[in-house]
Amino acid sequence: MTATASTGTEFSDEFASAGFGEGDQVPAGLGPWRLAWRRLRRNKTALFFGGVFILILVLCLLAPVYSHSVAHISPAAENIAGQGNNCPPTCVSVTGIPIGPTWTSSYFFGADRNGRDVAVRLLYGGRNSLEIGFVATLITMFFAIILGVLSGYFRGILDGVINRALDVIWAFPAVLLGVALGATLAVSGILFLHGTSLLVPAVVIGIVYIPYVAKPIRGQVLVLREREFIDAARQQGLSSWRIMFTEVMPNLASTIIVFVPLILANAILLEAALTYLGAGVQPPNPSWGTMISDGIAQLPAAFHDVLVPGIMLVLTVLSINIFGDGLRDALDPRAKVRIAR
Amino acid sequence: MRSLSRPAITAVVATASVVVIAACGSSSSNSPSGSTGNTGTAKKGGTVTLVMGTAPDSLDPGFGYTTQAAEPDWLSYTGLVTYARASGTPGGQVIPGLCTGLPTISSGGKVYTCTLRKGLVYSNGKAVKASDFAYTAERAIKIPWGGSGQFITAQIAGATDYSKGKSSSITGITTDDSTGKITIRLNAPYGAFDNVLAFPSLGLIPTGTPLKNLPNNPPPGVGPYMITNIVPNQSFSTVRNPQWSKMNIPGIPAGNVDVNVKISSNVDSNALSVLNNTADVFDWADTIPGSLLPQIQAKASNRYVKKVMNSTYYIFLNVKAKPFSSQLAREAVVTGLNQNAMNRLGSGTLIPGCYFLPPGMVGHPTAPCPYGDPASGGDIAKAKALVKQSGMAGQAVTVWSETRSPRQQWMTYYTAFLNQIGFKATQKVIADANYFSTIGNLKLNPQTGFADWNQDFPNPIDFYLLLQGTAILPTNNENFGQVNDPHINSESNRLGQVPSTQLNSIASDWQNLDQYTAKQAYTAVFGYQTFPAFTSDRISQSYIFSPLYGWDFSSFSLK
Amino acid sequence: MTRFIVRRLIAMIGVMFVISLLTFLLFESIPNGDPARRLAGRLATANEIAFIRKEYGFDQPIYVQYARMMKNIFTGQVYSYYQGFNVVDEVKLGLPATLSLAIGAGIIWLFTSIVVGTLAAVKAGKNTDRLLTVLSMVGVSFPPFFLGAILIYYLGYKLNWFPLGGYVKLTSDPWQWFVHMVLPWFTLSVLFIGFYSRVLRSTILDTINEDYVRTARAKGLSENQTLRRHVLRNSLIPIITLFGLDFAQVIGGGAILTESIFNLHGIGQLAADAIGRLDITVILVVVLLTAFFVVALAAVVDILYAFLDPRIRIAV
Repeated sequence: MTATASTGTEFSDEFASAGFGEGDQVPAGLGPWRLAWRRLRRNKTALFFGGVFILILVLCLLAPVYSHSVAHISPAAENIAGQGNNCPPTCVSVTGIPIGPTWTSSYFFGADRNGRDVAVRLLYGGRNSLEIGFVATLITMFFAIILGVLSGYFRGILDGVINRALDVIWAFPAVLLGVALGATLAVSGILFLHGTSLLVPAVVIGIVYIPYVAKPIRGQVLVLREREFIDAARQQGLSSWRIMFTEVMPNLASTIIVFVPLILANAILLEAALTYLGAGVQPPNPSWGTMISDGIAQLPAAFHDVLVPGIMLVLTVLSINIFGDGLRDALDPRAKVRIAR
Repeated sequence: MRSLSRPAITAVVATASVVVIAACGSSSSNSPSGSTGNTGTAKKGGTVTLVMGTAPDSLDPGFGYTTQAAEPDWLSYTGLVTYARASGTPGGQVIPGLCTGLPTISSGGKVYTCTLRKGLVYSNGKAVKASDFAYTAERAIKIPWGGSGQFITAQIAGATDYSKGKSSSITGITTDDSTGKITIRLNAPYGAFDNVLAFPSLGLIPTGTPLKNLPNNPPPGVGPYMITNIVPNQSFSTVRNPQWSKMNIPGIPAGNVDVNVKISSNVDSNALSVLNNTADVFDWADTIPGSLLPQIQAKASNRYVKKVMNSTYYIFLNVKAKPFSSQLAREAVVTGLNQNAMNRLGSGTLIPGCYFLPPGMVGHPTAPCPYGDPASGGDIAKAKALVKQSGMAGQAVTVWSETRSPRQQWMTYYTAFLNQIGFKATQKVIADANYFSTIGNLKLNPQTGFADWNQDFPNPIDFYLLLQGTAILPTNNENFGQVNDPHINSESNRLGQVPSTQLNSIASDWQNLDQYTAKQAYTAVFGYQTFPAFTSDRISQSYIFSPLYGWDFSSFSLK
Repeated sequence: MTRFIVRRLIAMIGVMFVISLLTFLLFESIPNGDPARRLAGRLATANEIAFIRKEYGFDQPIYVQYARMMKNIFTGQVYSYYQGFNVVDEVKLGLPATLSLAIGAGIIWLFTSIVVGTLAAVKAGKNTDRLLTVLSMVGVSFPPFFLGAILIYYLGYKLNWFPLGGYVKLTSDPWQWFVHMVLPWFTLSVLFIGFYSRVLRSTILDTINEDYVRTARAKGLSENQTLRRHVLRNSLIPIITLFGLDFAQVIGGGAILTESIFNLHGIGQLAADAIGRLDITVILVVVLLTAFFVVALAAVVDILYAFLDPRIRIAV
């Protein structure tokens, strides 16, 4: 096992991956899963934060309802120079400072400098941030599993090539990829990707995390392929592909499940970081990252513009992390896949 | 000019008060009486700290083109002519620099001649020769300086051949080292050529200076100041040139203090340090954050002034593409756009207006705006009606915008506005570094978006360059709206040939032309930027604020 | 073993080569990013653009441009397109700030996480452990620029205890240097403390159950002695490994967020600024520097591990 599956930049994260699951594989079957569920149920903290995450998810999904029925204002509606009636007497001062929280149905969390309702944008922005997180996680898991299994199972030259490719991704600064792709796609776009599309940061983030998952999976497959039941399958004359799908993959299930919340949490964080550096979500799309960096740009005025999306972001990531930690404990108490920074 | 915000004229008062120095070639000893500054009684000595938010592109005058570079450079590299040391409109006046008088113009405006003063030396003590001027121009082409294509290569005869390597020198420039006589032949009459000669980039440097950008150690020049101690992106010093006082050039006084410039991108912290008197001068090209303004107005109103400079912020409207090929659609934008909202997004630093020529510029019209008072906040209902009438309702529009604040916020607001009046608008944000070269790509045919212009010199032709049909280029196009109006083309060509010194005689012609442009709604002007002049308690308030380069370091003095 | 090391080093050079090539190509492929047109500025004439293209060699085939750029970088003759400064000098100028950040924060995060991690392991399952777990989770969930903004706002603007950012040279004013570095150190450390203490906690818990530890206990060593002499010493190995990698990363300009929000003008911020200006020469140099630190340390770690465990030689 190598120790290379560590460090990224301060916003791409670390997964110490030493010795994952050696010796005590969880065979596919009902028993261990039920056991895990029982363990998870006992972990009240993890369940609580799992609930918090679901709540945030639901709230964000209900953004249009909130916008339409509670705040009565759309996320793009601007009330700058007092044309708005929701925002008495004005949403933005003459020198450009937005009002703070009103704690009433409209402009609950105040306005941003374009006179838009922060609460409404918080929910819409959350939808975007979470969407990017989920899509990026999907991309990471898909490629990491394929690459990890192939390189671990076939070893040899293929393994070497895949490993070096992973090294390249791993040492390549994510921000650059984001900026370059963003700038390239902003005008023309290729295939399904367009500059303003949320898919751009999602793809960038998805690529960035592949090595962090692929390497541990490879390590686990290296161990698995030497085990008796794989040998037996080989002796029965099953093809390599068949063995990978029916024998190897199911044994990776718990690892994969443990990695999902890890990647999700970090993808959401990385989205915010990329956006702060101008390489993530492109305005005028709201996301927690764009909202925080807009707020930081006008410090020290209107600190609520930083605080509101920031706290929401931290709360979301925190609940995913704690739930993920509980999930890991439940699935495999001795596993050493660890939570990222 | 490069858009890191640029020189401009200070003019709360408009054009009427321009003092014309009529004498051509007479050794003018009448130093222009600055409207505020008076160095006669100022205390000599000391060092002041200027805090700057953006680093200069390069302090080498052969490369530097941003305001932050021009600010120290114009005092350290004096050209054959320079600008009067005065605030307000008088500061836009060209006065003799290293030449004994303003150049004499002959051959129908195509030949400029002047003679160098005697006894000129560079800050390193070396004597100045007439041939150094030719070398300076060649070096600016070779490096190249950002304005060289437009102002040197295109204007001076033989400069194009030189830039293409077809000749080893610029044939249009002849110099005589023994008499100090310099003759410059132009391709065609160019009224603003006096202004070109005043660029710090044509401020003389010694022959033999390496033909490359020297940002760490700029060449010696002739001027009240010299630039030393450059730490890239962190600091530099502008110290008094010991050689200067010996030369005693009328109208260009030596400085009283040395100026240390500290570069820090945290503009808030810069403003706070000037407020708390831990730094002395806030760079005028930075914006004081709106959140600090109340505090500054309360505690330091006696040392904070808003200055207007010649820069126009506008939205370009592409007349070659739907929907803004329709004049009614363009009128709708001009009619409905709420400039008060734009001003709030800009932290209250904009002055509303509708004319392309800014208020400090000769030719800025005084007539009321054709489509409603710009300070009234826009007429949305009328704009909606105009869109309907134009038949362009529902038309898809892409709004191009830069990333930086508040330009991006302006365009976000503008996009919402377009949607409100009946278009289907979406915003497209381009990285700052790439923005102008992107929308300047004619193939893209951008419909509308942010644009700005800051004067290179106080002559309206510098703005009308952007609206001439001949300025439509396949790449690096600056006529973003692709305006190609015969009336504008012929009038601006005619007026552009009148020498800067006679500008006042054609002020009303420029006014008529600019009113015509506004009537056609070729651009949606949304304001003129004001700039902060903010100093510490230590600095005497009798400083000069140049309408072109902002702070005149030589006018600073400690109380 | 020698073969392994050689192979590992060759692979490292290969990775560096691919990274430099990728970075170069990425920025070459930006449409409207033609550096000649950007450098020429607004109002540039076609003639001027052509001149710049020739002067800077943008008219050459791309592989020639790449080779020239690499040669310039390795001979130290690489100049930023935007300002014309020597990039190597700029990196050197940024080094003191970046080193100050890395060393100070490194000391803080290493020691704090050892204390926190050990405490959590010793009190495993108790309330102290639960509290520390949640705290370290909070730490890993905070984006540094958000934490930095909070600190600057409350401790800088509101209370005026700390400056709003910037870097003061240690040699020019040690006290001001310290005052300017406190918030950046804290911000950067929080990230790592959360993560390291979690890693350490579980490593200790694993080690405690190892045979040799049980033996040590059976020999009659006190809990404290066992912990210090046997458990902690062995559990620190992965932490030190991680520390080496992360530390190298920060020195190579990896703390781009912390440096930016606090305006430290270090190598990370140099990179961030260059990205904003699409200044390819500066970007390339910093990318290569960061990648070098990352890849080189990873190689060193791999080689060290291979010494310890021969099986790995096949696996890598």
